[in-house]
Amino acid sequence: MMPSLTKYSNSIMTVFILAIFVVMLIIASRYPPGARFMPFVLGIPAVLLCLLQLALDARERRLTAKAAGLSDVEQAEEQASRLVGHRVHFDVGDMLLPKTDLDPREQIRRELIAWGYFFGFIAGIILFGFHISVPIFLVLFLRLRAHASWRMTIGLTAVASFVLFFAFENVLRVSLHAGFITERLMDLIGG
Amino acid sequence: MIEIMFGSLFAMLTSPQTMTLMLIGVLCGLIVGVTPGIGGRLSIALAIPFVFGMEMVSGAVFLLTMHAVNGTSGQISSIMFGVPGDGDDAATTLDGYPMAKRGEAGRALGASVTASGVGGIFGAVVLAVMIPVLEPVVMAFSPAEFFLMAMLGITFIAFLAGGNQIFKGIIVGFFGLALATVGTDPYTATPRFAGDFLFLWDGISLVTAVLAVFAIPEMIALSVRGGSIASVSMEGAKFSYRQLFEGVLEVPKHWWLALRCSVIGAVVGMIPGLGSNTAAWLAYGHAVQTSKNPERFGHGAVEGVMAPEFSSNAREGGSLLPTLFFGIPGSSGMAVLMGAFIILGIQPGPTMMTTQLPLVWTLIWALVVGNLIAVAFLMVIMRWAAVLTFVNGAILVPFIIVLAVIGSYVNEGQWENLIVLAAISVVGYGMLRFNWPRAPFVIGLVLGRISEESLHKALGLWGWQFFFRPLSLVLIALILSTIAFAVYKNLQQSKAVPQLRAAQ
Repeated sequence: MMPSLTKYSNSIMTVFILAIFVVMLIIASRYPPGARFMPFVLGIPAVLLCLLQLALDARERRLTAKAAGLSDVEQAEEQASRLVGHRVHFDVGDMLLPKTDLDPREQIRRELIAWGYFFGFIAGIILFGFHISVPIFLVLFLRLRAHASWRMTIGLTAVASFVLFFAFENVLRVSLHAGFITERLMDLIGG
Repeated sequence: MIEIMFGSLFAMLTSPQTMTLMLIGVLCGLIVGVTPGIGGRLSIALAIPFVFGMEMVSGAVFLLTMHAVNGTSGQISSIMFGVPGDGDDAATTLDGYPMAKRGEAGRALGASVTASGVGGIFGAVVLAVMIPVLEPVVMAFSPAEFFLMAMLGITFIAFLAGGNQIFKGIIVGFFGLALATVGTDPYTATPRFAGDFLFLWDGISLVTAVLAVFAIPEMIALSVRGGSIASVSMEGAKFSYRQLFEGVLEVPKHWWLALRCSVIGAVVGMIPGLGSNTAAWLAYGHAVQTSKNPERFGHGAVEGVMAPEFSSNAREGGSLLPTLFFGIPGSSGMAVLMGAFIILGIQPGPTMMTTQLPLVWTLIWALVVGNLIAVAFLMVIMRWAAVLTFVNGAILVPFIIVLAVIGSYVNEGQWENLIVLAAISVVGYGMLRFNWPRAPFVIGLVLGRISEESLHKALGLWGWQFFFRPLSLVLIALILSTIAFAVYKNLQQSKAVPQLRAAQ
């Protein structure tokens, strides 16, 4: 499990989904009875379940706060005890459990970078098309994120781009999005 | 029946297209299985765009074999380097790695791969045996029961994703069902939640949603986490083909264990939501309990390597049962597979027993033949396949993202789907980040339209009285008791905390 951001981070998702269901119900209320039937059948119980989940999240926070003073091993023992229903003791002596969690700030920084690449790639495809965006995305990601050598980056990008475009455009006969800016430029050059 | 059974096998074996696709499926499945960071369901999600427009039987065979052989190669890293790729591989590690450390990697691999193949074949046999048994049950189901079965499937999977997550799981399942209502309402032709966006009038693309919930969040998480297992020594990877053959011979020597563990796996597979993890550990526990020398387990007992493999692969055949005949996927991987089947034009449900029986038999044979090919293939390429374990996860990320994005686009050829992909990916990552189960979402989305149609039909036929039909009451009781049990289990767990603190 990834590290918690704030005290209330376990409720972020609950509130988010609750908001989606509430908006869904408000929009559905304007539809004719037949059309709003299913959204209501799903939305009303879902809102109630979200509220129940919020209460459960609060209870979980209380239990976590209780365990805050315990060491990693003791917390693991407590979790295991909760799971099996009786006291569990881990015979690990002074051995420290390996820390796999990232620092929350570092975690968020890495997440923002990863999402930046992804959204940038999507925007690139919409504006410049697959033929331009795919190789650029692969080169940037392999070189800057995966720290691959230039030789590997260029080699992998060339092979992957060729295989992908050949497979989709020549074998599967799918025409890939050319991109709005690229299309416009091509029109200007052509015209 | 006999005619359909062997006719399907003959048709499959004599179709060059189907057999070629099966070979490609086996190869892809084995590569995916041994490569860290790519799970079985992710590989199916990525393969969906390639089968779009493909002939139904060939496409289904390709996807099923790819999914079925996934676990066969997964144990390579567990045995050679002590690094389990998945939960069920962890059980294999317990005895496989000690065997590798004492120079018996080949024997352990030969035994585990053969056990996996035998388990897969046994799972297919169980599925075949269950068809005539289940026929009257499936045919007794009406639209009312199918709606409730969808609800039960979501509740079951939500519960088994973690007892304390039952409400999260149900909420996520409802979210999937709600997303399936986007688009033109089939009864009033009102465009729901689509506004002026014409591309949404046909509903949200299943391929896009599946890729957004599984592929993109996994890749973002892998990118954030980074790293590979390259620091592990290659020493354990040394083995001879003689050892490999000795390992293969261990399976017939332990045929009784094979039979018992495969039955455990197939039965676990039939219960929606009990993952391969459960199947593997149950079989391992059973092997320990029934052994005359249980003290050998954990120190390199070959039975400890085989038992989880028999079971976890036999589970695939078992889990096809609820997926195909009740439309309730047995696992998240099966949920994605079921989505792919629907895209190919295969409608799970009672028709699988009537008009689609030849297809069912083809799928059963595909499991058998696919597993045989996978075992033979792995015996030859084992040594080189191990190298894939060392692939740096960060290098895989951009290629999988590109495949997912292209997959989302080619499904309907609309660039707008890329925006939907990005939006749902954020929700999918939120679920992953905050430990919400994602499998119920796919099940909800896949079953959304069918559930709505079933509910309307049931209401049309019986009104609200449909809730009081005998089979409906049984299903409602099952749903409620699953939820009640989860709540009870949670209360028990929280009671254990004060007791623990008092003891300290």
